[in-house]
Amino acid sequence: MNIYINGQSMQLTSTDNLTVALQSFLSTEQQQLSYAVALNGDFIGKNQYGSTLLSTGDSIDILFPIQGG
Amino acid sequence: MSLSIYGQQLDSRLLIGSALYPSPEIMKKAILASRSQVITLSLKRQNPQENSGQKIWQYIQDIVKQTSGFLLPNTAGCKSAKEAVTLAQMSREIFQTDWIKLEVIGDDYNLQPDPIELLNATEQLLALGFKVLPYCTDDLVICQRLYDLGCQVIMPWASPIGTGKGLMNPYNLETIRLRLPNATLILDAGIGKPSDACMAMEMGYDGVLLNSAVALADNPVVMAQAFAKALEAGELGYVAGIMQQRQTAHPSTPTLDTPFWHQQYS
Repeated sequence: MNIYINGQSMQLTSTDNLTVALQSFLSTEQQQLSYAVALNGDFIGKNQYGSTLLSTGDSIDILFPIQGG
Repeated sequence: MSLSIYGQQLDSRLLIGSALYPSPEIMKKAILASRSQVITLSLKRQNPQENSGQKIWQYIQDIVKQTSGFLLPNTAGCKSAKEAVTLAQMSREIFQTDWIKLEVIGDDYNLQPDPIELLNATEQLLALGFKVLPYCTDDLVICQRLYDLGCQVIMPWASPIGTGKGLMNPYNLETIRLRLPNATLILDAGIGKPSDACMAMEMGYDGVLLNSAVALADNPVVMAQAFAKALEAGELGYVAGIMQQRQTAHPSTPTLDTPFWHQQYS
């Protein structure tokens, strides 16, 4: 199935959950960093990654800290 | 004299942003020079090929440790209550703070806050346990509504973000201070000069939040010091009680026993 992570198209199997998607997208180094996730515009807490199943067309946002005013 | 943000006492009344500095090193030096204990920051997408935000994040963490400071994440870029609520929840998980500088933008030209979406987002976030610091215009009624919802801190703009135009509507800002005497009022956005910050403090504002005025100065570190002193001067001026303006001139020097050249000869 096709999903989108940070706007990029990605292919996953239909049984994959959010943890799998994140591991596929992020580098090993990035997986150790601070980040937070939203699925289709809704916040998903870290403790929910494994239990969140994905569907075709889902859109995932992975956000990291940056400077801001 | 300290600033209270949702019960947290702070020695400095200046809140400062972490963006737009010439380098992370200058950012760190400038923020330390400002003596601010509250640093704003944000979240953004990052693709696997880049790690640009990580260096800044390391620096910000160092500053927070060094100053015993606090992070104030913002919801910059959000245009709806839903976006802002989601981003606030993501920020809370990463930064481990209930504080959120709530920005919901309604117009791309002047980045003016959308008052309807702002109130909607504020209500939702307060219900989720956030301590909301809403960025709003200098509209008294919007400020009143935000306060009525439960915001202890209100942050009206001086002028649009990044313009450096200073206090566009001093009357509006003074009226907000007058009508919301118990709210913590922080002037946010549009500050350009130290005297702008001083003016806000002379009005009785509790603090000032700025970024561009320091980051875009020729010398951000020296400008940060200037702002620290300006806030202190303005606050002392307010506490000391500013004299009433008068319509007519009054001599400062005593007129009793005026010297001979004022004598009238008959």
